[in-house]
Amino acid sequence: MEPLLTQDVRKPNGYTLDFYVEHDGYAGLRRALGMAPDQIIEMVKASGLRGRGGAGFPTGTKWQFVDKKSPNPRYIACNADESEPGTFKDHVLMERNPHLLIEGCAIACYAIGAKVAYIYIRGEFLHVQQVLEAQIAEAYKAGYLGKNILGSGFDCDVWIHRGAGAYEAGEETALLESLEGKRAQPRNKPPFPAVVGLYNCPTAVNNVETLCNVPLIVKNGAEWFAALGPEKNGGPKLYCISGQVKRPGVYEASMHVTLRELIEGERYAGGAREGRTLKAIIPGGSSVPVLLPEQLDVPASFDAVQKAGSLLGSAGIIVCDDTTCMVWLAENLLHFYRHESCGKCTPCREGTDWLHKILHRIERGEGQMRDLDLLASISAQIGGKTLCAFGDAAITPVQTTLKHFRHEYEAHIREGRCTLVADWRARQPIGAH
Amino acid sequence: MIEVVDTVTLTLDGRQITVEKGKTVLQAALEHGVSLPYYCYHPGIGIDGSCRVCIVKIEKMPKLQTSCSTVCTDGMVVDTQSPDVHAARAGVFEFLLINHPLDCPVCDKGGECPLQDFSYTFGPDNSRMEFPRRVFDGEGVKADVDFGPTLMLNRNRCIMCTRCVRFMGLVDGDAQIGVINRGNGSEIGTFNDEGVHSLMSGNLVDVCPVGAITTRDYRFKSRPWDNPSVTDTICTQCSKGCNTTAWLKAKPEWAKGSSLIRFTPRFNADVNQYWMCDIGRFNYRWVEGDDRLRAPLVRDAQGTQQRASWADLMPKLRDRLAQAGQSSPDGVKFLVSAHASNEELFLFRRLTEELLGPSGPSTITVSWRVTPKQQPPRTTFKVPAVDAPNVNGARAFGLVTGAVGDPQGPSNVGALQAAVAAGSVTALFVFDPGPDGTLGDSQWLLDARAAGQLPLLIVQGVLMTSLAKAADFVLPGASFVEKDASYTNDQGWLQATSRALATPGDAREDWQILVDLASGLGVQLGYTSAATVRGDIAARMGGAVGLVGIEGLAFASTMSARTWLQASNPSERWKWDFMYQDLPPVKGAVEPSSLPPPPGLIPLKEVK
Repeated sequence: MEPLLTQDVRKPNGYTLDFYVEHDGYAGLRRALGMAPDQIIEMVKASGLRGRGGAGFPTGTKWQFVDKKSPNPRYIACNADESEPGTFKDHVLMERNPHLLIEGCAIACYAIGAKVAYIYIRGEFLHVQQVLEAQIAEAYKAGYLGKNILGSGFDCDVWIHRGAGAYEAGEETALLESLEGKRAQPRNKPPFPAVVGLYNCPTAVNNVETLCNVPLIVKNGAEWFAALGPEKNGGPKLYCISGQVKRPGVYEASMHVTLRELIEGERYAGGAREGRTLKAIIPGGSSVPVLLPEQLDVPASFDAVQKAGSLLGSAGIIVCDDTTCMVWLAENLLHFYRHESCGKCTPCREGTDWLHKILHRIERGEGQMRDLDLLASISAQIGGKTLCAFGDAAITPVQTTLKHFRHEYEAHIREGRCTLVADWRARQPIGAH
Repeated sequence: MIEVVDTVTLTLDGRQITVEKGKTVLQAALEHGVSLPYYCYHPGIGIDGSCRVCIVKIEKMPKLQTSCSTVCTDGMVVDTQSPDVHAARAGVFEFLLINHPLDCPVCDKGGECPLQDFSYTFGPDNSRMEFPRRVFDGEGVKADVDFGPTLMLNRNRCIMCTRCVRFMGLVDGDAQIGVINRGNGSEIGTFNDEGVHSLMSGNLVDVCPVGAITTRDYRFKSRPWDNPSVTDTICTQCSKGCNTTAWLKAKPEWAKGSSLIRFTPRFNADVNQYWMCDIGRFNYRWVEGDDRLRAPLVRDAQGTQQRASWADLMPKLRDRLAQAGQSSPDGVKFLVSAHASNEELFLFRRLTEELLGPSGPSTITVSWRVTPKQQPPRTTFKVPAVDAPNVNGARAFGLVTGAVGDPQGPSNVGALQAAVAAGSVTALFVFDPGPDGTLGDSQWLLDARAAGQLPLLIVQGVLMTSLAKAADFVLPGASFVEKDASYTNDQGWLQATSRALATPGDAREDWQILVDLASGLGVQLGYTSAATVRGDIAARMGGAVGLVGIEGLAFASTMSARTWLQASNPSERWKWDFMYQDLPPVKGAVEPSSLPPPPGLIPLKEVK
């Protein structure tokens, strides 16, 4: 499949309005404004577009849930708080193809009857924000945003809100809290944002990549879009491949592509480094279970990866080769989760810290065999008991490495050090890492 | 008319229950006697869903649900006792205690602490945590920090339920408390560590489910088991009339008796919800303070006030009053604080009517102090400006203009002031049973007295105020916690204070003093108790707005703290079954071992 979202990202002026308009840009918006909002929602539903932020929830359905009866204004909140470790697709789109997102925001607003879209951008993406802001200003000047867009009588504003640096702000309700100026902490669900969202108004929260797909659907039709991928997994998909591969980066493909192709194919990441073998991959950002090399011959689609025992998530594929100690991997990830837990609910706030302390102890060579049962037990105590999905995400690295690589944990405890010969850390004195 | 309430029927632990529509599973469970723990939920400050201890199993839901945030629906099947609920709950309790210091023996909350109670009931037997606890003590910083003028904050004990945060935002109206830092390092804090500066700060101690927030007033002064008795009463320090509970601490064995140790608010949906202000909570020391009047005083020929007995005082007082009354019948005036109860106001009215005829009550001036309170504009708990409980009572008796329930402004003492200045007042009887200053400005009286314009000044009251110091006769009366008395609050609710303490020394209840005085003056009112006074009020003016039902008013008696906790707080009463389980028996009480064990009693654990 030829790239559809990222075909022009390498062109020096590919991000400008002139270039975008020359290449058939804003044709989707023009067409959308000639349709009824419900028609657009039906179209997006028919296309099978699924949320690219991680959960893979059908976007059309999400829009349909937005409370149309409410007297309050409605909002689009674009989740550009791309913080999942291993995920770096949205910032490419925003930096190199900003008008696609702006067009997507405008169409989404039109579809759900909103007049304002907020792009909640990750605080660290300062350079991206600058590009996006400049291009939004261009779009206003050219009449693609603002009052009476393209003479249709439809008004739409797009605002950028820069986050203050919290992973949790990527959770949709925490994002809304943060947009409102509060601490980025999740809300109770229900009510869902579609009914009570931003400023207690009906809100649809969509990922950047999701919104970028919307103009394509409107421009080319739902059938065309659905036909791009396997059933219920239509459209182009961006994959972020990182870790110990020859060519890490963002790759666009249809969801027919298999995980093995993505990791080993010459068009994509090019496989493990010279002389190294694959050990494990995390297919959807750090919050999903690992897959072993023999499980990679499945299409990289939401459904197929789930069937294989993991989740496509945000398609942040983290590849580990045989030099990676899985205990260290789990400790590293738990360090992240412990740091990023928002602290609102008890199991996550207390549990992640405890898990990290135990993993750190094992990693330092001071662990005991009973720690392994303790890890499993604490994970079970967190899993499913928390307010948002963070708790489940945080225990996944522990549970899945324990499941597949328990022998590494045991070796750590038995030997009091990392036994992985290939791991550079195995050559370090105990306690150095 | 019977109010039709929408209800839903659900199954709770195999039992069919019907509850009002919109109730959450937690509320339904507590109402139906099912024990569920909760921390972040508080009926007065809403649902947060963050502590996760109230999780239950609900059929057809994939995960365990927090009962506090799940609304009951028809046909819902809830299980609070299944093994997975038990395990999950125990898991959360283990998490709550891994960083909470187990300093219960020195913690003020120990003994009445929901974390203690619930952990014993629902938590695991031991902890598997082997790492040092998280502490906020650091170089130059203690975990225990100042938290404003009234409070202290111990950050180590905090379990981040954020009740205090939500209280300040929703009730106080000024969100001074916030959470700072993130995750495991989260702590409760205020901007620039300024602490909480609020008229409502004391409520934070009540909402805090652990000993993280404590009042400077009560801190380290008592333990729950040293407060064996409590009395339900109301606060009389302003016109709101918050329902409160007076807690008495037992004095040491050799001293006998008990003393006031704290006031806590009592739920009343119409008056004060779950709250009370700091004035009512902390301003109680005067009741047992050094300035209390303990004996009648009479000014002798040399001009010094001498202690006297009631028997000595009454004839002298009668003679002087009668003399003043005979020389100038219009010269006898009464200045009554709006702290006077309905009974006392009625007695003044009766007395003046009997002495002076129908125009008698016009000699009574009711006075009170008005101090506007600084509160955030968005507060949902307005503390009234009027510092007296019974302006509406005075209205009901026709002693103050206006109808019961009208807005209350400053008192009008102009006429009396003019009469005093003109020298036409030969005797002034002041009745002031409130804390010092609540009578309003009295400097003009003192000035008049110093200038010799007031030949006879009689003060009946509770404190040695400057007015009492200037008086010829001082009659020691009872404070609001020393008498069963009724008051009509600013909304027109008739409420009662109850006798929690005995009057100090020779002081007497005020109705008694007034009846004796009347009898000395030859007026036989014929009352033998405050209840007979109320009966007569009902007979003479029972239908008056603000006095309806006065004859049947129920007064709380002092009871054991345990009984109080059970009776007054039904939504949590099961909890108190655990709270005092290992207290030594109160003298004269039923021996607990002779009673059947409360349901679900957990045996005390063996210390390993």
